[in-house]
Amino acid sequence: MNNKVTKYLLIGIILIASFLRLSLLGDVPISPDWDEVALGYDAYSIMQTGRDEFGNFLPVVLRSFDDYKPALYAYLAIPSVKIFGLNAFATRLPSAIFGILTVLATYFLVKELFKRRDLALLSSFMLAISPWHIQFSRIAFETNVGLAFNIFVALFFIKGLKRPWLLSLSTVCAALSIYVYQSEKVFTPLLMLVLSVIYFKDLLKASRTHLIAALAIGIIAIIPMVVYVTTNSGALLRAQATLAFSDKTTFLKENITRLEYDRETGNSLGKIFDNRRILYIKTGISGYISHFDLNWLFLTGDINRHHAPGMGLLYIWELPVILFGIYSLLFYRKREIYEKKSVILIFAWFLIAPIPAAFTSGVPHAVRTINFLPTYQIFSAFGLLSLITYLKKYKLIIGSIKVRDLMYVAIIAIMMFNSLYYLDKYFIQQNYFYAYDWQYGYEKAIPEVTNIKDQYKRIVVTDKQPLDKSYMFFLYYLKYSPVEFQKIGKLSSGGFGKDHMFDKYQFRLINWDEDKNTRDILFVGVPSEFPKNIKSKKTIYYPDGSPAILIVDPEDN
Amino acid sequence: MDRVFKKIPNISIIFLCIVIFLAAFLRFYQLDINPPAINWDEAALGYNAFSLGIDGRDEFGRFLPFDYLESFGDFKPPMYAYLTIIPVKIFGLNEYSTRFASAFFGTFTVLITFFLVKSLFPSRRDLAYITTAILAISPWHIMLSRAAFEANVATFFIIVGVWLFLKAVQEKPAFLLLSIMSFVASAYTFNSARIVAPLLLVCLSIGFRKKLISQKKYLFSSIVLGAILVLPIAFFLISPQASLRFKEVNIFSDIEILKLSNQEMSNSGNKMWAKVIHNRRIVYAREYTKHYFDNLNPSFLFDKGDGNPRFSTQDVGQMYKWDIPFFVVGILFLIRRKEKNWWIVPIWMAIGIIPAAFARETPHALRIEGSLPTFQIITAYGVSEFLIWIESAKGLFKKIKKPVLVLIAAVLIINSLYFLHGLFVHYPREQSAEWLYGYEESINYINSVENNYDKIYFDDFLGRPYIYMLFYKKYNPQKFRELANVTRDSFGFVHVKKIGKYNFQDALPTETISDQKVLYINEIKSIPDSARIKKIFYLKNKQPVMAAYTL
Repeated sequence: MNNKVTKYLLIGIILIASFLRLSLLGDVPISPDWDEVALGYDAYSIMQTGRDEFGNFLPVVLRSFDDYKPALYAYLAIPSVKIFGLNAFATRLPSAIFGILTVLATYFLVKELFKRRDLALLSSFMLAISPWHIQFSRIAFETNVGLAFNIFVALFFIKGLKRPWLLSLSTVCAALSIYVYQSEKVFTPLLMLVLSVIYFKDLLKASRTHLIAALAIGIIAIIPMVVYVTTNSGALLRAQATLAFSDKTTFLKENITRLEYDRETGNSLGKIFDNRRILYIKTGISGYISHFDLNWLFLTGDINRHHAPGMGLLYIWELPVILFGIYSLLFYRKREIYEKKSVILIFAWFLIAPIPAAFTSGVPHAVRTINFLPTYQIFSAFGLLSLITYLKKYKLIIGSIKVRDLMYVAIIAIMMFNSLYYLDKYFIQQNYFYAYDWQYGYEKAIPEVTNIKDQYKRIVVTDKQPLDKSYMFFLYYLKYSPVEFQKIGKLSSGGFGKDHMFDKYQFRLINWDEDKNTRDILFVGVPSEFPKNIKSKKTIYYPDGSPAILIVDPEDN
Repeated sequence: MDRVFKKIPNISIIFLCIVIFLAAFLRFYQLDINPPAINWDEAALGYNAFSLGIDGRDEFGRFLPFDYLESFGDFKPPMYAYLTIIPVKIFGLNEYSTRFASAFFGTFTVLITFFLVKSLFPSRRDLAYITTAILAISPWHIMLSRAAFEANVATFFIIVGVWLFLKAVQEKPAFLLLSIMSFVASAYTFNSARIVAPLLLVCLSIGFRKKLISQKKYLFSSIVLGAILVLPIAFFLISPQASLRFKEVNIFSDIEILKLSNQEMSNSGNKMWAKVIHNRRIVYAREYTKHYFDNLNPSFLFDKGDGNPRFSTQDVGQMYKWDIPFFVVGILFLIRRKEKNWWIVPIWMAIGIIPAAFARETPHALRIEGSLPTFQIITAYGVSEFLIWIESAKGLFKKIKKPVLVLIAAVLIINSLYFLHGLFVHYPREQSAEWLYGYEESINYINSVENNYDKIYFDDFLGRPYIYMLFYKKYNPQKFRELANVTRDSFGFVHVKKIGKYNFQDALPTETISDQKVLYINEIKSIPDSARIKKIFYLKNKQPVMAAYTL
């Protein structure tokens, strides 16, 4: 494959990647969810005032819903919010752009590691069409940017072994990664460690000044985060809350009964085995291996916001190819083409990817383990190429048709079919089936509310699922002045589970039995909060025709 | 390991004896009290064996039933009951004798596995020993060997079938006849085996087609023998009763799938391509694959085990966590080395899961037991490869060889002790409700006081109290057939509402019916306020489960 063809193919792949990530970006998924609007509004707030909603000046971490999001994504969203306004497209754009860059970076990384252009092209193509990667490139989830930085880290590191000044770039990306997403606080250091161990000898050959510079730059870059984490007790709250054993009473309940029984019966073996430390180890292993469930990977995914309906995170046709790829990578190494280290790196990457999620609850978790990418795509690409090499030897001819050609046709047909299936599921079925999960309805409901707002003294908006964190959606869609809101935000005691108020709006659960007797108050809620045959000013429906949001004036009833 | 075997003469036999003894101990120790009580399927098998042992008829009076035992209308394959006749004769009708066949054949499965692996991989001596040891301590196999599970006996027959088949094609062709008999026996023992055994036989025959064709005489006579032996159940299998049972559990009868497929088509504008990709066959295929993959879920295999506490202690997987790295290495190297009969292992495993994936409840440790011992062979292969590697290790690994081996052995011992501690210390107490603990005590109570009452009402909230009554009272089968009021509903289920003065029904009366003296046994929650409690029956964790009372 000559340079020119490669270049055109790569451009083609980037175009495909861009098309799949940018088209209908604001409309599919059907609505931004709470985290997306929070990031968008914080971008808007920082853009206008330099402060987040709580009035923190140039924050390193966004307190948000008390989940303490690393803040970089909000900063990255400022340019697009500035250009396109505060909307779903603008909020999601940084993620999409980093997604496209990831596809490009994957090409260079694989080329650098395996010295094969065909493999590099195929890997980046696989990533371009990957359901997993598309899913998180099309929503404002920080994880996708974190993945991009991790791939940059590896790319610049490997390249840096020859041109040492790039090592500094690698450490900068590693530091940035930590400012983007929580999981990277675990994954990125592990990745750096793996890289340093595998390429230890090569690193020693690099010039000392560059090494020290890279290290120094990296350390300086993470100082603000380190300072923040050590001085803010809240910063780690979120991380603790997601741990599987955060809720000690339920987590240890059974264990304690067992331990008591062991004490009663004087079972000394039991005192060791029913120790909670053993349980922690078990939980870690359990979380880790849960990510190798074939259903999760290929057919179902985890929660609905993390996959298209009826799809997993990878294409089902990839299963045999991935297995074949893993097998050939391990056993059919062509010494003359690529180094053993490259293979070790890919497998080490693959094996550390689930670690950040291992001890958390809600496993398997597609967001916390997105760093599996692009290893699966590399396995797939490697498997496909090995399969082609294998088929080349297959010379059986039936009639005038080469069986081998038939197989090629079959493979391509299956791939195309599966991709079509996915695209349909993602672009057509997703909005229909998963509107509830995407907290759909605000975009239509809020203008209706503002139209009649003047007739009311107060407007009560529910906080009930799926409308949770409704205040943030109102801030977002009303483009409410951050200066105004910060006055309240500063005083607010917290984001999670608290009732909020601003302007005429009050955000709390609706208790109809009491609220039905009020006057001059407009209620915005979910159908389950009102009696069945209630008259609403306006009802917003899901695409499947079921009611999503009711706007109700008690005096009409 | 080979080296060790050469050093000490006879050590291999000693090792094997120890392993088999260990296997027997882990399967027979406390067999009568752990699992803490018998479930209704066990009770039914035990009682049918009891009944067959008396007059050659099943509980409802069918003479020498070969095709099925009607039991609760689930049409149980009859083999287990026949195998249980002798233990029941020897030990009497109780938990121990009912479970004896399963534990006995489970122990023999461990031994046969040794010979199987020797025939599978003749060039790897150590592999047979390692597999046998792993199966002996396998949580999966221990759990299923400790209750009257037909699947466990069927697995024995399947393994014997494969072993004899290999013997036939590699040594003496006459073994083919025995192999066929064993495969047929498995089909008489457990439903899933009726799919696994023929598929396995077909695959083995294809794999060894040249050998088989060269032995026309034996091939022909085996086919004839197999056909004759299968005949009795063949008629039953094509009957409507058999398909009724299948319809009840299979995934394709779900109407939601059709609805979903139609909705998706209309979302995509009912275009030609939409009709293709949203075709219900594709939805079904996806559904089937999902259930198939469920059985390969690492959380099921290595972490939590089957969600049904009867098949797993719930805190150790079907295999140990220790197995994980060796299992992975085993798969890779099994394929890499491609030794002689290597292909049988993955194909056997794949076939073993096929029948279970048709059903809604997946993963299902019991229904895929037919894939044993392939999981253990793969782990053993990994262990063996590891031992080969560390034997020849150079440099750093050579120095730390001994500590590494000690560490690995220690982790295995800790892991298995952890399982055994859970099984023998906590399992009976935690899961006694799952095993319907309480029936035995309540029936013993009835025995002690029944002369004071004219009638006894038993609520069937726990399910099928009549079979417990028969089981624990060792009720005379002839008398049962005479006195019982047996009805069958439209789904084919059998209900026994009444045996003599014992009544079994859904909701017990809350007021006295007549001036007769009546004793009620009911679940603790449904006891009326007016009841005068005579005795409360507790689970092993001290929770009350049912009570005897009068009104």
